[in-house]
Amino acid sequence: MKKILLVVFMCLCIAAPVFALDGNEMLINVDRNLNPESFEMYRKLINIEPDGSKKEFVMYSVKKGKDKIASVFLSPASEKGRSTLRIGDNMWLYIPNVGKPIRITSLQSVTGGVFNNSDIMRVDYSAEYDCEKVEPAEDGHILYLKAKTNTVAYDKVKMWVYGTRLLPDKIECFASSGMLIKTLYFKNVKDFGGGLVRPAVIETDSPLYKGYKSIIIFAKVNAKNLPDEVFTLNYMSKVESLRQ
Amino acid sequence: MKFFHLCTGLLLFLMAAALPCHADAEDQASDMLDLDFEIPEVEKKPYTFRAELEIAETVKSLDESSLLFYQKYPDGRDDTTLWETDLNLTLEGSYRIESVNFYARLKGGLYHTEEEDWQTDDLTEEAYVSLQPNPSIALDAGKKVLKWGKGYAWNPVAFFSRPKDLDDPEASMEGYFLASGDLIKSMDGPLKTIAVTPVILPVSSDINDDWSAERELVYGAKIYFFTWDTDLDVMFLIGEETRDRIGFDFSKNISSNFEIHGEAAIVFDYEKQVVDRQGELSADRYNALNFLAGIRYLTEGDTTIIFEYYRNGQGYTRGEINDYFDLIKTGYLDYLDSGNMAGLGLSREQGALYYNQQTMMMDYLYLKVTHKEPFDILYFTPGITSVYNMNDHSLSITPQVTYTPITNIEFDIKATFVSGRGHTEYGEKINGSKIVASTAFYF
Repeated sequence: MKKILLVVFMCLCIAAPVFALDGNEMLINVDRNLNPESFEMYRKLINIEPDGSKKEFVMYSVKKGKDKIASVFLSPASEKGRSTLRIGDNMWLYIPNVGKPIRITSLQSVTGGVFNNSDIMRVDYSAEYDCEKVEPAEDGHILYLKAKTNTVAYDKVKMWVYGTRLLPDKIECFASSGMLIKTLYFKNVKDFGGGLVRPAVIETDSPLYKGYKSIIIFAKVNAKNLPDEVFTLNYMSKVESLRQ
Repeated sequence: MKFFHLCTGLLLFLMAAALPCHADAEDQASDMLDLDFEIPEVEKKPYTFRAELEIAETVKSLDESSLLFYQKYPDGRDDTTLWETDLNLTLEGSYRIESVNFYARLKGGLYHTEEEDWQTDDLTEEAYVSLQPNPSIALDAGKKVLKWGKGYAWNPVAFFSRPKDLDDPEASMEGYFLASGDLIKSMDGPLKTIAVTPVILPVSSDINDDWSAERELVYGAKIYFFTWDTDLDVMFLIGEETRDRIGFDFSKNISSNFEIHGEAAIVFDYEKQVVDRQGELSADRYNALNFLAGIRYLTEGDTTIIFEYYRNGQGYTRGEINDYFDLIKTGYLDYLDSGNMAGLGLSREQGALYYNQQTMMMDYLYLKVTHKEPFDILYFTPGITSVYNMNDHSLSITPQVTYTPITNIEFDIKATFVSGRGHTEYGEKINGSKIVASTAFYF
């Protein structure tokens, strides 16, 4: 009996770091495991059509805090210089030809394909969602998330997280009607340096875009101190100057 | 020569039709997916360069019964179809030395019409130097486009810009010679950002000479506030010859697919030049209020709707436009009777200066509906745009198709049709319809 109690006690101790967290704390941990609070990154977005043909975009992005992210397209030439800014639920697009930032919404897509603006300009999940329920799953947990406001792209999100590192494995995104809009798959866990070990690939498909796929490849993620003024409309045309 | 234009149009069509096939053939042979983590763009260079080459063929069908046709072609024309070929090259580049950045955008054009044969055109749209010691402060000097306002089709608060082209509101524009700055402060709390943009614009016979005939210094500023998830701007312009003006604008996302915006401006002591049916010119002075209200809405089916109402307080009333059209009609009849061009010449002069402009009247509605990738055709966007003149109930309708099947190549075809009774803005347009097919290459 003593042995059984000891085993149960040890199991509880091992599991304590995870079970001691409530859903929202786990969500904050997921956010920090995906990226530092203030950082820069290079990403490649690939839209793949059913026939296998591809379209690629390269973006440089900087993010600060829970809900500020600015990006600029480095290629292709047709998109070069376009920049996006997100502060909380507010999103803007700056097109050099147009010469001024215009407001865009989270469900639109500046690149086409399955990813929408909310996916491309992703802020911390804990900034947009409350965790309503946690369920155990094989090698991890399922977090049931509910959008904090109606300006968030997906009303409900189901997130599979695994391991002691609490990294996401799969995310299902639902509309308020309950319809599945898309599924994100996190793959290729990679050491980016500075203690950041996270999936380097996010793949998505959608029942609304049968046969189409979109992929984000993270090539470089570095912690970086950034002033708040970088995340303003006046700075949108100058985001590229932050690159070292 | 018409054969040449037909060939150009046919070539553009064949390119649009053939390239997707080529893409399929090429891509089917490639591997399904190569997760290449090497991104050459990561390496930063001190310079940037971008170029755009556009080939366009335009076919205009002249409306022989419109007053503006009589005004331009009082002797009529044998052929009422006009063809135009345009070849435009835009070069854009920048060079950065620490906190100093040099930027220029140059446009060169080669175009052909049956009336003018081959002509060239070149323009420096922008060329300026920027100094940015830190992200809170920036100073720009040179020829620069300053676009203020939140409207898509019109911007009554864009005090330092040229008017937008209603046929293509997103087209690049030519700037003015000016000096401007940015002072940005971000904060915690309800007011998250405040940014001040002061502007000084000199006017002389050498630079910015379309502002006024006299030498003057025009200055102004815009103050931007980001608060309660809303963009707010207040702005002013003060000049010696140029009329003073104040304005504000706002925009806000109401939900994940719905945005609202608005602008308002007052031009103080605005002087409207009005011509009566005898050709007498008079000036009407008043404080002109211009404003705009609009929405951008994305439906669940990926249809984007942009809808705007514009009040042009500087525009002409129905009666004033009637007088102008009467002047053309009288001048044309005089010419037919006696060969006297005086009346028509006067109407041409007033038309070029004041009347024959886009948005010449007071109340307009703008609607643009685009549907992203219907029938699962990726990168294919059909749309339709309409401008409705509420004062005379005339309108233009422009269906358009944009297709970008291959990276850095864009095909676009649009047709514009106008409708309206006699003595209405669109009813008297010289072009009854216009079709433009273009291909743009980016590199």
